[in-house]
Amino acid sequence: MFAATFAKSTRSLNPVDQAPQPYWLNQRELGTEIPMINPIMQGRDRVIDVVTTSIAWFAQQRYFLQSFSPDIRAFLTSGATIRERHDSHSTTSTQVLLPSLHCDIGVSSMQATADPLEDPDSAPGWRGRVVTCVSWLLGGGRGTRRMLNARIPLREALEMMPVPIVTVDHRNQITFANARTIELFGYTREQLAGASAEMLFPIRGVGGDHLEVEERGDASQIAGVSTTQVLVARRRDGVGFPAETNTTKYTVHDQVLRIIAISDRSASQEVDRNRKELVHLARVSSLGELAGSLAHELKQPLTAILFNAQAAQKYMESETADKAELRGALEDIVTDNRRASEVIQKIRTLARKGDIELQPLDVGDVVRDIAVLVHSDALTRGVRTRFDISENLAMVWGDRVQLQQVVLNLLLNAFDAVKECAPAERVVETTVREEPDGGVRITVKDNGLGLTVDKMDKIFRAFFTTKLQGLGLGLSISRTIITGHGGRIWAENNNGKGASFHVTLPQGTGLRQGCGPQSP
Amino acid sequence: MSQPTTRVFVVDDDERVGCALTRLLRASGYHVECFDSPEAFLDRTDLASTPACLVLDLQMPGMTGLEVQHKLDQLLPIVFLTGHGDVVSSVDAMKAGAFDFLTKPVSESLMLAAIDRALKRACIEFAKRTQRAEIEERVNHLTRREREVMALVLTGRLNKQVASDLGAAEKTIKIHRARVMEKMKARSIVELVRLAEKAGVHAADDE
Repeated sequence: MFAATFAKSTRSLNPVDQAPQPYWLNQRELGTEIPMINPIMQGRDRVIDVVTTSIAWFAQQRYFLQSFSPDIRAFLTSGATIRERHDSHSTTSTQVLLPSLHCDIGVSSMQATADPLEDPDSAPGWRGRVVTCVSWLLGGGRGTRRMLNARIPLREALEMMPVPIVTVDHRNQITFANARTIELFGYTREQLAGASAEMLFPIRGVGGDHLEVEERGDASQIAGVSTTQVLVARRRDGVGFPAETNTTKYTVHDQVLRIIAISDRSASQEVDRNRKELVHLARVSSLGELAGSLAHELKQPLTAILFNAQAAQKYMESETADKAELRGALEDIVTDNRRASEVIQKIRTLARKGDIELQPLDVGDVVRDIAVLVHSDALTRGVRTRFDISENLAMVWGDRVQLQQVVLNLLLNAFDAVKECAPAERVVETTVREEPDGGVRITVKDNGLGLTVDKMDKIFRAFFTTKLQGLGLGLSISRTIITGHGGRIWAENNNGKGASFHVTLPQGTGLRQGCGPQSP
Repeated sequence: MSQPTTRVFVVDDDERVGCALTRLLRASGYHVECFDSPEAFLDRTDLASTPACLVLDLQMPGMTGLEVQHKLDQLLPIVFLTGHGDVVSSVDAMKAGAFDFLTKPVSESLMLAAIDRALKRACIEFAKRTQRAEIEERVNHLTRREREVMALVLTGRLNKQVASDLGAAEKTIKIHRARVMEKMKARSIVELVRLAEKAGVHAADDE
């Protein structure tokens, strides 16, 4: 799930958006005017690059660079896939790597291919630098040849890489770990050498396969073909963190070696956590709106309990204690107590800060639960609510609390929408129906003023609100939740008055377990 | 004191609260009738047949307590019982003549005291109403001419003056007046005035 998200976000990154400024500023601070190439990319791209470069270093003992396969050359020349890393750590090692680079570069070639989108002031742009790199690799300068002819073992090449890299043999034992790995995990080099890879990655990843990849014959040993996984990594101090690993197989002397580049994904986990906090915050805020009426929802059973208990006392006091009446009163006390507990439970569930729990759900039940909670609020606001829920609905995979949050949000919005209507016209209808394709549709229909065209576009955006006391997050978060469930949420104006909000959720079987609301 | 049987009507959309309240009131010795919707309650035609009070929930789907109060038009003393009584609605209710305004959960003694007072008021109102109905019944038995005579007599005019006002002989007026006194079961003019006041029959020049 992390992997999918990450790959998507990497692909969607526009190189121009990456603002290379800090990196170059950093360079100037270091007093080096050398145009650096940083062949480090994020995620998948990064490891392909790292591995390819490593291979380039390794392979050039025997081959001249010209003999590179067209694929690799095409890859090297395609600037679009290269991403720059802004990390200041990375610059130090590349300085070592490419000291003689600048002298062999034809300035004209740099300018010719410079990205027109780039700021002309910001020195040669990243694409220019890629071309520089390629022309350096392909070019025939004396310095270059000297560089390429130097025998640099794979070990040393990997050691210089500014990403944590380990190599693992066919028994899943670590054969090598570079300096960054040692820094990241806190083990010493000795501790790592020969240890099982499971020491670093103790838990199976979400993607299913562990690092322990079974051999699938020659086909899987093509250099440059990497697999990406998100795993839980554990430091020496026992602290776990999410890590993305990019594994590439490589054969050296008939030995299959897996080169694993690791990137720490803690930061993205924090983003994920913040998003969860936000969803929770919005939910609690909705509950806050309801607070007064929820109190009433509790007062009802409490009042009934009190009356029944007092009646029971009176029966006891009277000479002719009517056992049947007494039993009736006590039974009702028990029932109302349960009813009060259920309300509290429902409130607690909604207010709870819990992990997402995917389970097969009857959407009808989800809506019924919320109907109980908004009952009093509707009464206070003079809104008549109708709930028309089909029986035996198709089951849906989902998180109960999150779906309840969406329904609650839609209902509260609808109550607001009918606020200005005449008392008799304040009606909100909710229907839950099975879709012809097996999914389930929830429709919340109000007969308020409806939505203007410009609002229709904006309502699902974050921080857009028409209310005086609204965060403007409700619908935006609802959409995040519904999309996460593989469903759809949209609004339309009714033929008559008001607007309808529709939510469709796919039928359970269509949804793989494990994907869902956690992926944004 | 021979009191007619009093009744307590309970209207609460929450069936369980209504049921519990009914049970408590029955255990306390009241005759209780419970309704779970205002409409069902208002459909009852015999609301005024005995002295009765109404314990009414304020917030109900469909018709609110205040609307019910308006429809009843002071027929019964109303004790409001509400879960979320805000100041505005309680003021509205009291202005419109609510007998009392209690919030849930309510202490038993407070509620029973309120109901007792409401029933006491209901008995007084009921007695007045019965009496008025009786007097009205008597008035209904008067002929048109007798009513005209009575209206003028109530203003304190003498037989002679009444005769001239109505363009009739004084003798005839005397007979009419005697019939009025007899039908109204009034032994004196003062009593007739009192009865007329109770029945809301106005003297001629009041109109």
